[in-house]
Amino acid sequence: MAISLKESLIVGFSDFWSRKIRSLVTIVGIVLGTMSIIVVLSLVKGINKQTMAWMMERGGLSKISVYRNWNYDNPLKLRDFFTWKELSLIRSLVPEAKYFNPQERQWTRFSYKGEEYRSSVYGVLPDFTKIEEWDADKGRFISEFDVNQSNDVIVIGSEIKKELFGNKDPIGEFITVHGRRLQVIGIMRHRFMENKGNIGNDNGLAYLNRRAFVPLTTMIHKGTGEDNIGSFIVKAQNAESAPDLREHLEAIILNLRRGEPVFLVESAQEEAEQMAKNQQTFQMVFFMISIISLLVGGIVIANIMLATIQERTREIGIRITVGARRRDIFIQFLVQTVLVTFIGGILGVVVGLSILDIVSKFINIDLIAGIEMIFIALAVSAGVGFFSGIIPAIVASKLNPVEALRYE
Amino acid sequence: MAGLIEVKDLKKEYKMGKISVHALNGVDIDIQAGDFVAIMGPSGSGKSTLMHILGCLDSPTKGQYTLNKEEVSNMRKGKLASIRNKEIGFVFQTFNLLPHLNVQKNVELPLMYGGFSKKKRTAMARKVLNEVGLGDRLKHKPSELSGGQRQRVAIARAIVNNPAIILADEPTGNLDTNSGNDILSIFSELHAKGNTIIIVTHDPAVAKRANKIINIVDGLIQDGDIT
Repeated sequence: MAISLKESLIVGFSDFWSRKIRSLVTIVGIVLGTMSIIVVLSLVKGINKQTMAWMMERGGLSKISVYRNWNYDNPLKLRDFFTWKELSLIRSLVPEAKYFNPQERQWTRFSYKGEEYRSSVYGVLPDFTKIEEWDADKGRFISEFDVNQSNDVIVIGSEIKKELFGNKDPIGEFITVHGRRLQVIGIMRHRFMENKGNIGNDNGLAYLNRRAFVPLTTMIHKGTGEDNIGSFIVKAQNAESAPDLREHLEAIILNLRRGEPVFLVESAQEEAEQMAKNQQTFQMVFFMISIISLLVGGIVIANIMLATIQERTREIGIRITVGARRRDIFIQFLVQTVLVTFIGGILGVVVGLSILDIVSKFINIDLIAGIEMIFIALAVSAGVGFFSGIIPAIVASKLNPVEALRYE
Repeated sequence: MAGLIEVKDLKKEYKMGKISVHALNGVDIDIQAGDFVAIMGPSGSGKSTLMHILGCLDSPTKGQYTLNKEEVSNMRKGKLASIRNKEIGFVFQTFNLLPHLNVQKNVELPLMYGGFSKKKRTAMARKVLNEVGLGDRLKHKPSELSGGQRQRVAIARAIVNNPAIILADEPTGNLDTNSGNDILSIFSELHAKGNTIIIVTHDPAVAKRANKIINIVDGLIQDGDIT
């Protein structure tokens, strides 16, 4: 019969307790390492979540954008915009696309009874509301009829409304854009970032409220008078089919431009995947840094344990003399180390969560440490304790009792 | 009658760099249950090495050591630990108590490694501490006791498991004459109760208490028994 595991634990624990200050000093390194794991993992996760929320706000993952590739210097002088006719052709070639919206942007000045506001006006199709998941919440948006008739109508963002009309109801009023009188038929829903918003207190979507919309045909035929549309957006049936649709669109557009990459075709789904990949790398790097700091803590612990064992050589000799087996000595010292690191790990989690709370308030992003992160942090710190404890424990268990008893 | 301890041609060699030192050079010993043996010799004679081997803290290079009819010289380490725990009680010159444990816990130590329950340990430790006259010092730390009292704690620890032999290495070496005599009286009492006692010493006054003296010089037994 030999000492039970429970007794070993008790001996190890009372050792730990009778050396409180040393134990506490040792714990600090582990606390810092564990803390940084929690903070880093949660920070990265919180930012990920924020980015995804932002992408969803921008129309979700089934969105595909086509726009001029500015990295291509166009030596063949190919047409670097689309005509209304070309767009109609493209639309007919991708019947699998759910929505289709070319848009042309113009920087302009809006005026109403002496009030002026400078901003952008966009020529769009009715699908705009579906693609951007953004509609007029007062009055109405542009209709098929408006497009077919090139009607002189405009839908304005909340910011334009505020600047030009104040508290007045603008529906039915006429504002002047490029010397042309357009009737206000609707006001877009006010946009703001949910989940607190971006870093800082600014509304991350405020720029959208400064936009106005007219039928694309009105802009082409009556506004600029130029039939050149720089970009368009297509929405797939769902996020999964978006990459296929993107490929299809790219093939069609390459065909229209002699195989030259005049335009870029980008899928939000793929963009998101790429972003997720980047963030994973980011997360990995920080995780490694935390692990390294924990390892340093572990080496410090191993060192302290070795010193402790040397100090207690005689005690080990006495224990062996009265019948302790190598295993008993081994467990006694391993328990101490694991205990130190485990307590350090728990403290690290607690401190990490508190810091997260503060950081979260500071950068205005919800940071929530998942249960899995707490487990990872605790497992890593206990693992470090185990490995930094093993060598000193082996050293202790291999002491020669005769020499140990002689040790002064 | 077979002896409690039978040692035949025991040799112990230490390597110190390239030189090998013969601490024991072929020792034969025969000890019966109930003996009170004094092992005497000058320092460097090999008596401490002999005691370590008898106490299963060290193993011989050559030769046989039979304890209680069991061949010990080539036993596995785990088994040796168990023999140290059950069959042998040690008393040292420097007491060798654990300073951060109180008297009772120190005495319980062998019982803990022997796997006794806490309740039983407490009862057994109290009983032997009463026997050595320290029943009122259970919660004291060793540093709060006199040298003689510390050695009595060590004796209590040595006998708490009711071992086959009690091994003492210069048990009075760090004590004044009075305390030393008290300690020797305890050994005599234990002997009278039938315990086997082996004392390593160079003090003739200690040896006088023994019924058998083994003189060892340069790793060899010098002469026979003196009764």
